[in-house]
Amino acid sequence: MIDRLRRTLRVARWETARAGGGVDRRTLLAALALLLVVGGLVGGGLAAGVVGLDVDRDVYRVAVDDGSPYADAVESAPALTAVPVDGASLGTSADLIVRDVRGVPRDDGTIGGTAGGDSTVVGVVVSASDTEKGAAAAAEFREAVEAHNERLMADEANETAAFPIAVTLRYVSRTSGVDGGATLGGGGSTDGTAGDGATGGGGTSDGGTAGGDGSDSTGAVAAGGDGGDGDDGGLAVPSIGGGTFGAATVGSPGSISPPFPFVSLLLAFVFLVPMNFLIQAYGSSILDERTNRRGEPLLVTPLSPVEIVAGKTLPYVALAAAVTTLIALAVGGGPLSVVAVFPVALAFLGATFVGAMFARSFKELTFVTVGVSVLLTTYAFVPAIFTNVTPVALVSPLTLVVFDLQGEAVSAGDVLFATTPMSIGAGLLFALGLGVYREEDMFTQKPVGRKFLDALAVRLAPVGGDAHRGRGAGARGRLRALAPVALLTACAIPFVFVAELMAVALLFALPVTVSIPVLLVTIAFIEEVAKSVHLYAGFERGVFARTDRVAVAVGAASAVGFFLAEKATAVVQAVGLTELYVGRAAFGSVAGVGGLSVPVLVALAFAPLALHGVTTAVTAVGASRGRTRYVLTLALATLLHAAYNFAVVSVHG
Amino acid sequence: MGSRLTVAGRELAGLRAEKTILLAIGIQLFIAAFSSFLVVGLVSMYDPGALDAAEIEVAASGDAVDGLERAAADVEGVGVTTYVDAGAARDAFDRNAADAVAVANRVDAGDGGGDRIAVRVTAPDATVETTVLVVQLREVLRAYELDERRDRAAYLTESPLPLPAQSGSSPYFTFTYTVLIPVLVFLPVFISGSLVVDSITEEIDEGTLELLRVAPVTLGEIIDGKALAAVAIAPAQALLWLLLLRANDTPVANVPTILVLMTALTALVVALAVAISALAPDRRAAQFLYSIGVLALFGGATAMAGGPANAVARLAIDSADATTTALVVAYAAIAAVAYVGVRWIVAENGFDR
Repeated sequence: MIDRLRRTLRVARWETARAGGGVDRRTLLAALALLLVVGGLVGGGLAAGVVGLDVDRDVYRVAVDDGSPYADAVESAPALTAVPVDGASLGTSADLIVRDVRGVPRDDGTIGGTAGGDSTVVGVVVSASDTEKGAAAAAEFREAVEAHNERLMADEANETAAFPIAVTLRYVSRTSGVDGGATLGGGGSTDGTAGDGATGGGGTSDGGTAGGDGSDSTGAVAAGGDGGDGDDGGLAVPSIGGGTFGAATVGSPGSISPPFPFVSLLLAFVFLVPMNFLIQAYGSSILDERTNRRGEPLLVTPLSPVEIVAGKTLPYVALAAAVTTLIALAVGGGPLSVVAVFPVALAFLGATFVGAMFARSFKELTFVTVGVSVLLTTYAFVPAIFTNVTPVALVSPLTLVVFDLQGEAVSAGDVLFATTPMSIGAGLLFALGLGVYREEDMFTQKPVGRKFLDALAVRLAPVGGDAHRGRGAGARGRLRALAPVALLTACAIPFVFVAELMAVALLFALPVTVSIPVLLVTIAFIEEVAKSVHLYAGFERGVFARTDRVAVAVGAASAVGFFLAEKATAVVQAVGLTELYVGRAAFGSVAGVGGLSVPVLVALAFAPLALHGVTTAVTAVGASRGRTRYVLTLALATLLHAAYNFAVVSVHG
Repeated sequence: MGSRLTVAGRELAGLRAEKTILLAIGIQLFIAAFSSFLVVGLVSMYDPGALDAAEIEVAASGDAVDGLERAAADVEGVGVTTYVDAGAARDAFDRNAADAVAVANRVDAGDGGGDRIAVRVTAPDATVETTVLVVQLREVLRAYELDERRDRAAYLTESPLPLPAQSGSSPYFTFTYTVLIPVLVFLPVFISGSLVVDSITEEIDEGTLELLRVAPVTLGEIIDGKALAAVAIAPAQALLWLLLLRANDTPVANVPTILVLMTALTALVVALAVAISALAPDRRAAQFLYSIGVLALFGGATAMAGGPANAVARLAIDSADATTTALVVAYAAIAAVAYVGVRWIVAENGFDR
């Protein structure tokens, strides 16, 4: 064991030395110089005021008279550009024509006619072109006027008249309910607290609210950099940062923002950025071994493939941990952030390892790397957006980072739930790639698909035919040969869930009438592929004898493996994914059923097993007869499975 | 010209054999689908129509509650019920009879400016509906604020401008044109540059570039051929996306101009890629430098007024003017100068390492 570790470390040292030579000092200097030049340009531009990160700059054209007060509002909104009102025609040279109505306001606040000529503006007439663009421009204009009004009011001397309303917003949970009793119950104290907040200019979010703040979250306000607490005493622009759940905010109505952990999310994203550079270097290093048979000397040494790969990966893992720690220190994250990001880094490396083992050229590797980045980034980032909304967000470890940055407490169970699946997934990816870390696969130009089958077949034991006869005879030997089949299927479960989650997410945008049937078929297909692709690999690589008996046996083994693993992942139900309608369609087979008699329950619990057994036996028989038959039986099994799922969903309603 | 086409054809054949181009398109499709999902999902969190109940119910109390009620009448989908005191309102909230509590009281502002209205809002913690709830409540409170300001107009030196009527607009519209379309148009640009880096460094690495130089082609022609293949596939992909969007009822204006702009940018990025491949010691360093370079180039350009992303957005949404056209011409000129310059230098000096 110590020996193995020592050998692994030796490879790691060698890899570090080599990689250090790859990205030499000159390259780093060049990169730094590039960044400095651009940073200087952008910084200088920012200082000079010609730079702004507004991708929507000037996309809507508003025809407005120069003398109109609305021209100022248009001027200060980046998305709007003013065009002369003379000769402007809707749809061709302008999307919006704004004319203000002037007059003397009556006491009751309604428009008092136009008698007063150039008196105050009492109303506005907006004509928009009759397109989606016109409507969007009108909405943008309304927002611009609102923002303009906020700025006008911020300049007023009489703050009370300018901001007559001071709002304190608190989030409480209905079940606990009592924590705010002291403040809300007595009217007197309510007045007191709110009054304090108001006297402070109404702009601070943490000033006078301590009395009413029943929650434990203070870090959120700091991390949010709340736009409401301007030092200039103004409440000017509605903030995008905003507080999060648990934090109380005080301000004018315009400064209220819905609870969205914008800043924390942005900071969490920073953790993912270095991964992309890391996997580029790592992928290159692995593929380098494979070009020009460079890795051959290492393979013929007493080092085992596991030691070589572990040694080559170690420096990158260490680098990832170091960078993550640095970022955590920089953005104010704690050890939890590092712990949470670590499995993500492993998954990035694992997927890249598989990609580099399968790719035939650097070009292919580049696309694989980009694909890995995109997939894993979205998988980690998208659920984190719903951090405060639904517990499903915990499928991504990044959610833990958001919690950590908000200063919210998480339980050990949450941490395990968020990090374990990804760690296991990363381990399985490494195992998959290791299967082809051998001479006959590393230095050949096989298509990705064939190499994938190789990697799967390596993990299988011979079943049936001559190969079987030499080993322990009888039922026990046969069972021992079938165990890897079931195990491999079980290992596929995490990836099946990821794929299904992705499918749910992608189809989320479609109307339910379309998305549910498509989803049912997609999910059936994903599961059928997961249960049968290694069987196909076994038959193609000659590990399994091509007889119907063997086909049915391995099919049944695969079904059992899938069934057991799926039952083990009942956690899906625990986190409440099944509460979502689409989630129920996806994971309906593991959803609970209440109010049924015991025999029916037992029957229902084992119904999936019967289904998996039938469909997998069908595909296995197809797989034993070659590719075309396999594809056909796969389609058949998918339809069967989808029909079953549809029945389950309609029963569950 | 013939030898250039041969090199370009060989490049494309390689892409086809490895099916990498399919992978590239798949990645782009994934990005497009997922970013749309993201925006649709996020916006639906803010969209009052997403609430199951059509109307949110606010339990209100306090001495300024009448103003709150009046303001709520102007906002669609919000109902206000008055309770005798804050405790009763909170009870209603705890019983699920109300979605939120608002306690509005007049208090002395303390700065001699008269009374201010302090509203304490209590919203439920951590549910999907909270976001919509807060957005709706903000509407009510803003309407209330506007009413109050109108009443106090005498104390203000300038009165706020009247707001135009609310229009029903799709929140995805701006996103589609300012984010989705620029992303889809520029992804092929990055991919093409990356292909060139890989193609050149791989040839150097495996020694095939030396072999190629024995053939009757000049180094300049090899670069031209590789660049030609990379530049040719970029507009094709962009056109595919734009046509797909059009089929999806998203009209995209000025398609030819957009394609000219993105082809020019592809040429610029390819020039950068060739230069980096010539300078960097090996593939790893080259890809690293290329990523940083492209990041810096586009980050910097997007930050500038009239950056390429903004130019594409304005062209696609049909808000382009003479400056946009001038920009496109300028980008084309810069790209041409950059490519010709890099090609000349590399053809003179070779890829010496």
